[in-house]
Amino acid sequence: MKNHLPILIIILPLAVGFFILLFKKYIIQLSLGAIFIPLFLLLKFSSGFLDGNVIVYKLGGWESPLGIHLVIDGLSFYFSLLVLCAAVFIVLYSLYEETYPSSYYFYLLLSVSSMLGIIFTADIFNMYIFYELLTISTYLLIAYSKKGKSLKASFNYLIMGGVGLSFFLLGTGFLYALFGILDLPSISEKYLVIFSANREMILIAFALMIIGIGIKVAAFPLHGWLPDAHSLAPSSVSALLSGITVKIGIYCFIRLIYGIFGLEKYLFIKTEQFYLTLGSVTLLFGATMALAQIDLKRLLAFSTINQIGIILIGFGIGTKTGLTGALFHILNHAILKISLFFCAGIIIKKTGSRLLQDLKGFSRREPFIVLSFIIASMGMIGIPSVNGFISKFIICSAAIEAGFPLIVVIILIASVITAAYYFKIIYLFFDLSATSVKINKSSRRELASLRIILGYWTIYILTGISVLLGVFPSLGIDLLEPAVMSILSNFAP
Amino acid sequence: MNPLHISILLFFIGLYGVINKNNLIKKIIGLTIINGSTVLFFISISYSEGGIAPIFSKDISRESVQAMVNPVPQALMLTAIVIGVSVTALALALIVKIYEKYKTLDIQQLLKGR
Repeated sequence: MKNHLPILIIILPLAVGFFILLFKKYIIQLSLGAIFIPLFLLLKFSSGFLDGNVIVYKLGGWESPLGIHLVIDGLSFYFSLLVLCAAVFIVLYSLYEETYPSSYYFYLLLSVSSMLGIIFTADIFNMYIFYELLTISTYLLIAYSKKGKSLKASFNYLIMGGVGLSFFLLGTGFLYALFGILDLPSISEKYLVIFSANREMILIAFALMIIGIGIKVAAFPLHGWLPDAHSLAPSSVSALLSGITVKIGIYCFIRLIYGIFGLEKYLFIKTEQFYLTLGSVTLLFGATMALAQIDLKRLLAFSTINQIGIILIGFGIGTKTGLTGALFHILNHAILKISLFFCAGIIIKKTGSRLLQDLKGFSRREPFIVLSFIIASMGMIGIPSVNGFISKFIICSAAIEAGFPLIVVIILIASVITAAYYFKIIYLFFDLSATSVKINKSSRRELASLRIILGYWTIYILTGISVLLGVFPSLGIDLLEPAVMSILSNFAP
Repeated sequence: MNPLHISILLFFIGLYGVINKNNLIKKIIGLTIINGSTVLFFISISYSEGGIAPIFSKDISRESVQAMVNPVPQALMLTAIVIGVSVTALALALIVKIYEKYKTLDIQQLLKGR
């Protein structure tokens, strides 16, 4: 049972997805089951992974250079736990948002399954295939409402994503031409020997793959698709995209740079500096652009770019503390951004408008949603007692330890800008001056329905988790300790 | 010119099409050219003069085993072609929907439209 864990976790959502697409029965129960059972299996064996055990599953029994291996180590355990937990909340919230047909849950399960595939696989080409699968299902999810704008956003993402993945594939081709294998551990074994002979080819492969993944992560010059795609999708899908799908790109970044390209530290510039520059530019750009938005979900999408910058900076510092901060910020940003997008979904549903100016006086109508929104945005800004503060603080202290005081200044400036745009929204929530707010009596009555309770309580639970992690950060840090160790053990020659 | 150079040239021609063309269908054609160029690239990795298909049987000599081409890139590219076709199909389906809404495929007019 334990040895077959990786393939079971990937196959279950995939198989159930096709089942509900064909038979259209017990859609919600089955899709929840398809996420809960892998989550249960993963948690059942969690003590082993937290002790640093590694499960290697050989697909079809083929050995290392030829076959495809699925690996669960500390890092993949952490990310798969994140994906599965987030998927539970997203399915529950989708129930509230609309009565979606079976195809919606099929795409959702397909994307979850392919994300798990990317996380577990140790083969670059397999990673590419799962990534294509993931992006195909996300194109469909973005275009799900079939409104003109969301179709355009989906098409835009398709062009960018298609080109990006072709870059990735071409980079894979260069690596295959050099190494003759596609297995990540075998490549890293041979890397230093081949690097000294074929420096230029490795550089080309590095550049191609970084551009490919950079488009997916929405690092600064390649971010063009993200605001449209993340803001025009249905709110549950926006939460999926901003919360976890972008993190999968970061996971590939970690695997590629810490697994392969980082082994030779002086590729063309220090890989650390590459990350740091990319991170700081992305951070400042995202923060500044978010300040100028008048559309609520678009603002949240730019805020994602902002937070991605902080995560990249954490990886750029590259020390143990920096990695801990970055991985912890991935978790925190997922929790906070999912709950923010859920709040935005409810706000848009109640007010019928996406524009910030129509939010005036919303605190009268939904005080608890506004409270959750405020707590989550406090986390984004980095105000103590919410989890976002802890990870930002860890990254800042790591930057000082490693001797990058400028980075701390940049993070602080960006935090101030973040505060500016979130406080703008919060101010509007409490602005009762403009229009007399009518409290809709009929909306009170529908509160009894189970779906409404689900929608609201997912937000409350997420808010609760973020405060809990803010007060007891060790809960989260214990979880990512083995992940940091597995990155560093790869990195050490 | 060997196939490697041609595939890189094709890649940039496709990239030019994606970036510079205003028609959505032409953009998709560019994407398909990019996809084709990566396929050509992979195939040219394993190409060898006078190579034979890697089919094993009982009465096969050692020399012909030596002459066999590496089948792994070809197997990989079968998958990549399938993926490329499905992405193209999805893109064309999206284009049909966009055309139904806006009655145009020109990107400049689409950007103006609500």
